[in-house]
Amino acid sequence: MRTRLLDATKGRIDLFSEFLDLSRFPESEHVGRMSGYLSAKYADRRPDVVIALGEESARFISANRKNLADGARIIVAGFSRSTAEEMGLPSDVVGAFSEFHIVKTAEMARGLQPAARHLFIIGGSSEFDRSWLATARADLAAFSRDYETTYLEDLTIDEFTRRAAEFPSDSIVLALTIFKDRDGRNFVPREAVKQISETANAPIYGPYLTYIDYGVVGGSVVTFESLGKTVADLALDAIAGKPVSSRESPQTYVADARQLQRWGLSQKNLPPGAIQTFKEPTFWEQYWLATVTALAVITAQGTVIFGLLVERRRRRAAETESRLRLLEVVHLNQSATAGALSASIAHELNQPLGAIRSNAEAAAVILQSERPDLKLIEQILVDIQDDDQRAHDVISRMRGLLKKRGEIDWQEFDLNDVTTSAIRILHGEAARRGVVVSSNHAPRELPVRADKVHVQQVILNLATNAMDAMVDVVTAERRLMLETTLTRESKVELSISDTGSGIPDEQLASVFEPFYTTKPAGTGLGLSIARAIVETYGGKIWAANRPEGGAVFRIVLPLARSG
Amino acid sequence: MKQLEPVVHIIDDDQSFRTAVGRLLWASGFRVALYESGDQFLAQFPDCEHGCVLLDLGLPGLSGLELQDRLAEKAPLLPIVFLTGQGDIRASVRAMKAGAEDFLEKPAPREALLEAVERALHRCETRCREQDRIHGLRARLANLTPRELEVFGLIVRGKLNKQIAYALGTSERTVKAHRHNVMEKLGARSLAETVSIAERLGLVDATADPLRR
Repeated sequence: MRTRLLDATKGRIDLFSEFLDLSRFPESEHVGRMSGYLSAKYADRRPDVVIALGEESARFISANRKNLADGARIIVAGFSRSTAEEMGLPSDVVGAFSEFHIVKTAEMARGLQPAARHLFIIGGSSEFDRSWLATARADLAAFSRDYETTYLEDLTIDEFTRRAAEFPSDSIVLALTIFKDRDGRNFVPREAVKQISETANAPIYGPYLTYIDYGVVGGSVVTFESLGKTVADLALDAIAGKPVSSRESPQTYVADARQLQRWGLSQKNLPPGAIQTFKEPTFWEQYWLATVTALAVITAQGTVIFGLLVERRRRRAAETESRLRLLEVVHLNQSATAGALSASIAHELNQPLGAIRSNAEAAAVILQSERPDLKLIEQILVDIQDDDQRAHDVISRMRGLLKKRGEIDWQEFDLNDVTTSAIRILHGEAARRGVVVSSNHAPRELPVRADKVHVQQVILNLATNAMDAMVDVVTAERRLMLETTLTRESKVELSISDTGSGIPDEQLASVFEPFYTTKPAGTGLGLSIARAIVETYGGKIWAANRPEGGAVFRIVLPLARSG
Repeated sequence: MKQLEPVVHIIDDDQSFRTAVGRLLWASGFRVALYESGDQFLAQFPDCEHGCVLLDLGLPGLSGLELQDRLAEKAPLLPIVFLTGQGDIRASVRAMKAGAEDFLEKPAPREALLEAVERALHRCETRCREQDRIHGLRARLANLTPRELEVFGLIVRGKLNKQIAYALGTSERTVKAHRHNVMEKLGARSLAETVSIAERLGLVDATADPLRR
């Protein structure tokens, strides 16, 4: 499972395992301690997905999800759908259910022992053992009719071993689980099965992979691989945000070659596709041993592995954090731009305000004359209104420039429009610096999805940089050109070029590095912020020198829709 | 000497602003002329007209300061009142040093504007009168013979007739006759007046030449 998860996500997840040990320590104090401990341990790494292997862990995480993994997708595995139903798990919990089909295991046994006449079914005395026995009784109702069937239940472990020694050799023995014997002794079921098999006079089969190498011949089991793959697939879908629903782990027939030999059973009687283990000792089989041990922890013992996938969440948290930081930085950048433009903005505001004042004063003087020119007064009032609107526009542009964002305000807009509004903001400053601004718009709409204010800020940064680059150029030659186009790759491109001295070639790459600046008063953040913004919206930015002199900065953004 | 009514030349690239200021000054009894750029003003500006210039410091194209430089040659008598919305201290200082009459911040209230314009126009009038007088004096100076000019130069430097006669190698009587002619030709009734005329014509201190600002 781990391998599958790590491979499929190219290692971009973090996987944490926790062993809860709830079957051996079911006391509520232990559960509470475990919950508190895990809650504290994962306080800063809330998982995206929790994989609960085994019933106790499923119950545990369902009960403690608020503390441990609020908002996480919970995947349970290692038990059957009916068990899950009995447990009453929250409705959004999905399972990789293992159906332990005792009938399939029985059929495998019948195939291997066509001459068998007796059927023994072994089960323990714990609640689970009993319910398993009940299920098996119902499932085997038809199968058992062909045999002389005995349910061995409510026995002590010694009674089990004694009875096993007395099995007729033409017996099929099916081992369910023995978590507890009649005396209340606790067992890891496979250990009990092992003890029984040692004295048994007939082959024992079991629907658990963990019973392999513990004296059983085999059975129809959910292999570690199969379970792991099912769980991993569910987890991957959950991580990817796809809708997930419970599914069943596929089963495989597994047989222990040594046991087949021990009982003189022919491997050609195995069902098709059956896997034989311990046929010959290979590296894989040693590995298999390890897996079996691992799986033993998961299922048979009823213990629990708790898989926490946090990376995506952490990445999401990191993304949120970096987005907030970006928003902060952009806002600082906006303020700095506003500061830099303040002189020209003041000028832009003073013009209409001055005009309003003079017009009003002129009107007052005219009205004092003997025969006031009312036509002129009327015109003055119209002009006052126009100038008031003009002042208002300047202020709302300013507000737009300074707008602080708590979240990115995603919207679809025409890049041409933002370019125009940026030029309007810069117009005064450009005039003040004797820079002639020209723009060339693509003849069509260029829809992009981003935060308008941010994209405008990119343009302002690039344009003010361009104007700064032309300080040493004679006034008549200071030209700033903005051009928007649709590239052949259906991307939206904006280029901002100047007639300054250009950028030394070896510095073309480093201009976007934070704190890179050539200006005595520069912070070196304008271009790095521009890049951060552009990349946030899936775009690219780069600088080049124009053959005719001066630099050109290009940004490319994805087209929001093709239309 | 023509005495046309003075004109306030308003140069501002902002159409609405120059119209409004023009209206205010017009309503307040001034003749106004509006220009959107320094170039337009230079092209249309009629020589020798009395008035003043109301100039936007932050003009695009030919800037306010550049226009000031050009006007210093072309119309040295025309006082310039700068209007600025930027509070640009460096530009203001430069403008004042280059002889700006006044400096108003936009938006300028009516009283300040009228006061500055009136003062500028008054300055223009004074300058013109002064210029006319100097023109007249120059004409009189041209009537002096070379010898009389020499005597004039020495008189205004406080030399006695005896010293002048010695310096010129002539008699004291001849110097007296020259001196009489000089004062008569320049229309001076006393030595003090004669010195004052020489001063105004820039003949006493060569570094201060009122004919060239």
